[in-house]
Amino acid sequence: MLEIKPIFNAMRRSKAGAIMLLIQIAITTAIVSNASFIIYDRVQYLQQETGYPEDEIFHFAVQTFGKDVDLSQQFELTETTLRNIPGVINAVAMQEIPLSGGGSASSFGINPTSDQGRQGREVRSAYTYGDEHALETMGVDLIEGRNFNQNEVIIAQNRDVLPTVAIVSKTFLEEIFPEGDGLGQTIYLGDMPLKIIGVVGKMMGPWLKDSRPDNLIVIPFVNAGVYQKVLVRADPEQRAQVMGQIEDILLKEYDQRVVVNLNGMDESKRRYNASDILMLRMLVVLITVLVLVTALGIFGLTVFNINKRTRQIGTRRALGARKSAIVRYFMVENGIICIAGLVIGSAAAVYMGTALLEHYSLPALDHSYIGMTAIFVLVVSLLSVLVPANRAANISPSVATRSI
Amino acid sequence: MILHYLDLSWRSLKRTPLISALMIAAIAVGIGITMTSLSVYHMMSMDPIPQKSDRLFQPQLNTMDDGQTWWTEDDLPYQITYNDAMNLYNAPIPERKVLSMRTGFSVHMNSSEVKPFLQGARVTGRDFFAMFDLDFVYGGTWSESQEREVVPVVVISTELNEKLFGGQNSVGKQIYLDDTSYEIVGVTEPWDIHIKYYDLNNGAFSNREEMFIPYSMIAAKELNSWGNTNGWKYQEINNYQDRLQSEQFWLQFWVELNSPEEEQEYREFLTAYLEEQGKRGRYSREKVQFALRDVNEWLDYNNVVSEDNRVLVGLSFMFLTVCLANILGLLLGKFLRRAPEVGVRRALGASKRQIFLQHLVEVSVLGLLGGLLGIGIAQLGLWGVRQTYSYYNALATMDLTMLLAAPSIAIGACIIAGLYPAWLVCRTTPAIYLKTQ
Amino acid sequence: MLKMNNINKVYQTEKVQTHALRDFNLEVNEGEFIAVTGPSGSGKTTFLNIAGMLEPYTGGQYLLDDVDVGTLSDNKRADLRNQKIGFIFQGFNLIPDLNLYENVEVPLRYRGIKSAERRRRIEDCLEKVGLASRAKHLPQQLSGGQQQRVAIARALAGEPRFLLADEPTGNLDSLMARQVMELLEQINREGATIIMVTHDSELARRAPRNIQVVDGQLADFTLYQNRSADSVVELASGA
Repeated sequence: MLEIKPIFNAMRRSKAGAIMLLIQIAITTAIVSNASFIIYDRVQYLQQETGYPEDEIFHFAVQTFGKDVDLSQQFELTETTLRNIPGVINAVAMQEIPLSGGGSASSFGINPTSDQGRQGREVRSAYTYGDEHALETMGVDLIEGRNFNQNEVIIAQNRDVLPTVAIVSKTFLEEIFPEGDGLGQTIYLGDMPLKIIGVVGKMMGPWLKDSRPDNLIVIPFVNAGVYQKVLVRADPEQRAQVMGQIEDILLKEYDQRVVVNLNGMDESKRRYNASDILMLRMLVVLITVLVLVTALGIFGLTVFNINKRTRQIGTRRALGARKSAIVRYFMVENGIICIAGLVIGSAAAVYMGTALLEHYSLPALDHSYIGMTAIFVLVVSLLSVLVPANRAANISPSVATRSI
Repeated sequence: MILHYLDLSWRSLKRTPLISALMIAAIAVGIGITMTSLSVYHMMSMDPIPQKSDRLFQPQLNTMDDGQTWWTEDDLPYQITYNDAMNLYNAPIPERKVLSMRTGFSVHMNSSEVKPFLQGARVTGRDFFAMFDLDFVYGGTWSESQEREVVPVVVISTELNEKLFGGQNSVGKQIYLDDTSYEIVGVTEPWDIHIKYYDLNNGAFSNREEMFIPYSMIAAKELNSWGNTNGWKYQEINNYQDRLQSEQFWLQFWVELNSPEEEQEYREFLTAYLEEQGKRGRYSREKVQFALRDVNEWLDYNNVVSEDNRVLVGLSFMFLTVCLANILGLLLGKFLRRAPEVGVRRALGASKRQIFLQHLVEVSVLGLLGGLLGIGIAQLGLWGVRQTYSYYNALATMDLTMLLAAPSIAIGACIIAGLYPAWLVCRTTPAIYLKTQ
Repeated sequence: MLKMNNINKVYQTEKVQTHALRDFNLEVNEGEFIAVTGPSGSGKTTFLNIAGMLEPYTGGQYLLDDVDVGTLSDNKRADLRNQKIGFIFQGFNLIPDLNLYENVEVPLRYRGIKSAERRRRIEDCLEKVGLASRAKHLPQQLSGGQQQRVAIARALAGEPRFLLADEPTGNLDSLMARQVMELLEQINREGATIIMVTHDSELARRAPRNIQVVDGQLADFTLYQNRSADSVVELASGA
């Protein structure tokens, strides 16, 4: 037997308390469902497959101020030195570092650019220069075609001879040649023709937040600069130790230079994504504390209600009410408020989701999150009532006869 | 009377320690979370140079053909070309103007004492320091002739001076930037800004440069930009000279305009300049387009305050609302249980106003305690933010405004939450509580 | 000083109207000691609450010192209550968190009296009820009779001209009840007008003027008419 009617009457008499509880539950539902969805979205983003063994790779930059060497030749030497360090799998001087947040991008077309612009399809992609060691150093898988030959790699300090081939990511290939016959075709960077000789299944560009994050092209060119980036892949267990020796080894080889920005690939990715990680953490803390506060609020209010009705409960017990009936009374009372709050809260959550979608670049709220949140809030709320309600059930019937 | 009410409030808090603790904790957590996100927001959105932010302007020129778009709201590029930068810099107006760009060098002393290290440097005009209110500890900016005649001179920061010269007056000494020796002409004071508003290319909150050299070094030393370089059309660039003459955007430009008249005059100048460039056939445009944004407009335009941060601030305030609803519910219970005592007080001659005031003082005390505790929680939160990434070190702190705001918001919020319960309790007829206890 | 003309009080609930007072008339003069008796639910307490301006009435006119109470604002009524009226309740209604000194201090604070003057008055009043040594005690550390004496001290502290007592001895045993009664009589002799609601007919008889409320109306003046003030003094000294 559920005593809905008397419960309703009791609630009507203490409207304000019930309304406050309702508001709390409604706002909590709205916040938690939206926040948990944003959390889910960010976790997906942060944990996405990038194609790289991030914990094996590190990178740094070399600023050379000595003027007595040919930079490209010097870096060929440096690459060999690096590859000979125990624990290093491979190393390559690269123009840009994937996932680092800094790089180059351009439009690549199926026709060259002329004075009249470009005819036909063109697709934006990030690109980097590197040599035949690039793929192994990046730790990516060639799914079609072949790697660069040594004679395809142009090592020069000028642009007199240009590379003629390229290896591209699958996503780029499918976008620029949607018919699926891209391998072996030629694409143009400006008016520079590049024949696609290999396809990599997955290799993401420098910017995870780019509109085309998966488009990357490797061009076999070594044109070392005064400020030159270097990518190294090492055994994950030995990476930290290798990173520790890099500066000494490089300066021993040639000392008119400075080694800077030595970082693991996972670390630079974390830095690029710092704001997302922060958002994620803040939201997790926010909803945890929010649920806790709401639970404590329900707990506190129930304790108050019980204190107020101690005599009444005692009287009921004296008149033969079972303990379970007392617990049920409070559970039903809270349940009614909670469900009303959840209904309002769900509507608010939908509204909030729409507003966030409209004003901010956040994805549309998946409504299943509201459902899950509602169930979660209901469970938390009933648990918060259960504890004081059980205490109430233990009130001795004798309090009814004692004066306070 | 207020003191008396404070005394009563304190007693009342002590009488129900659990509920009081619950309420204070609720406010503290609410304020803590809100102040954490609000502090970061506050630091991000703060005016970096309030005394003259409305007098410093960044001109943006549209030197692209019609039909070309940019990813800004008004299709204007953020930076300008080298040629435009030089032309605007050599123009007669205004009095103060600078072009500027971030680059960097290996710094060494040509001896083995100091290990060479890489350091960011700003290449700019001699008025940079006066325009951005950067004062000198020693020496001063370089002269016009040094600038014109490409004399290798450098201004360094206090921090760098500390590192290289132990903080002594280093004016007149030499340091090496890459392979060239530069004479130090000035040492700047520590620069207390946390938004790098004069150049947002590398992130609004990234490290500032510790060295400044004359702009004429760009061409002389073929310096590369450490910021962004963007183009809109394909141009063959085979050497540095090609790059200088190209239509690529890679320099920042700032002007100081001290009155609306000066601003108007400069607008007219820019219009004339762009019309003339168009006539020379540099680009094909129907009509000229440019923008002149002051510091705060510039920060807005660049979305320096992230969306995430706005969302967080919004969510935090909703969170605070939940905490308030929570407190309101508890206060209701607490105050109404006290109705008999209020009845006695009313019978003894307390007016409704006095009772109301007494209860508002009580909730203010709750708010104050919660606010103070909330500052502690916010500090913890900000510490957590700083741990996420060092980028947030300067941002995740509470300045005096925020420290004062915390208890004010807490007390204000508590008073709002307390109004209804206090009104309810002072409104009850005293008589019904007096007959029996 | 107190004059009620055709006072009516109707309690309105959802379904029923209850007439607590109907056409109630009473005149009280300065210095009187009136005992009000009557069966349960006859309207005694309602009368006292209206007299003390704790409750509004629904009809009629109530003049206190020739001022029509019905026309006053709530704040004005609170001030009047504070200055002219002292209350003594059956349940004592001391504030549990405050010690005796602070309890007595409450009405003085609302009157805005300065701290030194408050101290003098509180000490006087506690002296008068014989509890000066216990000023720092909390109410629950005292017996019922002592608590009621504190309540009386609190009522006296404001030097009211008018003391309203609702069953002041209702929760006390007969010895304590007599002590409280003697205290009230002494206060009356010092000039205060007292209206006391009581069940106890013996106590009622000690008062110079007795009135009875039956069914919301004033019923009987006989006791008042048959007694003189002298006989009350005799009775008191003989007790």
